[in-house]
Amino acid sequence: MSAEETARFEPRIVAFCCNWCSYAGADLAGGMRLKYRPNLVPIRVMCSARVAPQFIIRAFQEGADGVLVAGCHIGDCHYVKGNFITAKRVAILRRLIEFMGIPRERLRLEWIAASEGDKYARVADAFTEEIRALGPSPIKDIRFGERSRSCASC
Amino acid sequence: MRELLKTRVAEMLREGRVDGVVGLIESHGEPLPYLFTADDTAALERISTGELQGRLAELIPGVVRYPLGKILTAVARKHPDKRFGVMCRACDERVVFGLFQNLQLDPDKVEILGLPCKEELARACSCPAPAPRSAIVDQPSREAWDRADLERIDAMALDERFAFWVEELGRCIKCYGCRNACPVCFCDVCTLQDDGLVKKGEIPAELPAFQLTRAWHMVGRCVDCGLCQEACPMDIPIRTIYRKVRSIVGELFDYFPGERDGGKSPLEQLGDGSFPIQ
Repeated sequence: MSAEETARFEPRIVAFCCNWCSYAGADLAGGMRLKYRPNLVPIRVMCSARVAPQFIIRAFQEGADGVLVAGCHIGDCHYVKGNFITAKRVAILRRLIEFMGIPRERLRLEWIAASEGDKYARVADAFTEEIRALGPSPIKDIRFGERSRSCASC
Repeated sequence: MRELLKTRVAEMLREGRVDGVVGLIESHGEPLPYLFTADDTAALERISTGELQGRLAELIPGVVRYPLGKILTAVARKHPDKRFGVMCRACDERVVFGLFQNLQLDPDKVEILGLPCKEELARACSCPAPAPRSAIVDQPSREAWDRADLERIDAMALDERFAFWVEELGRCIKCYGCRNACPVCFCDVCTLQDDGLVKKGEIPAELPAFQLTRAWHMVGRCVDCGLCQEACPMDIPIRTIYRKVRSIVGELFDYFPGERDGGKSPLEQLGDGSFPIQ
């Protein structure tokens, strides 16, 4: 990508935010009138552990340039242990997508508490710029041409 | 080995230690899965270790493999109170232990008859551990795992890797063969057929969602038996993906499905602090 293209490219990032901490943190960022990049599309989930890896895979397949999973700090989980499993899942999935040729930096895990509006804004800025540097997701460019066809039975 | 297997199966059934034995029977020169029972003594005469017969055996080193662990699970689900024996190559044994770990089979109700594989066969299968632990014949287990496939991809740059997988997975005709053959795929409802998560009605299968979803489900399950690779009609190196999954889980959690007794998949242990959180 040329410097001009890099500047023009606006990353689309899906942010899964847990209801109890991170979404409240995002809310607070707005309440505090903080200025941050508008590239994150927040999706509220009840817990970061509700984010099944399929959701992340789906987001990438639909053309997301990056996926952020945000949950409560360890020890703060509303459901006590949810974020432990999130940490394990993301660690595995990051390595797995990298094996398929998608940089692991495109998937990010952050712990954002309800009081950390400023952290949400900081993460939004930093992640957006990191994805901007990586460029658009290669998944969007897959073309099969005539090899592709519809199939009623599968 | 066949004679010994026959004696052992006959003994198990006669003594009433098990109600049935899942194994292979020779039918028209071809081994097929079969459930041996005490009242069916004639069938025992045709028990098979899965070896190819006649000219075929001269041409290919190999045995005919079936997902016996999967068949055993299906049988055990129908008869949860019965005890079963199962004929196992090392790969099948890992499957059965993997199914114990995932609570699909009850270790108290399964007896394993392990058959070690010859070195030539282990090499052909690129087997990580060719001798089962519950083997009926003693034989050293020499690792024949060829890591070249993994190393080749690990050495590639990311865009090169992506192009490689687009080319390989772009051949997928979505036959679900890999899933159907997989002995550790035991769910009643399959995510791969959920329209909301993996789109229906298109081939090649959605890339990379289809394979990533399947690969994700192999976390803490894949025992590297290689049946998926054998089943794939398009010759996609899918086993390599699952081997990577296995090595990732091994590296992060020191957990190798099917290789140790007991223990649960790392994803099933909630909040035990077993994983350093960044």
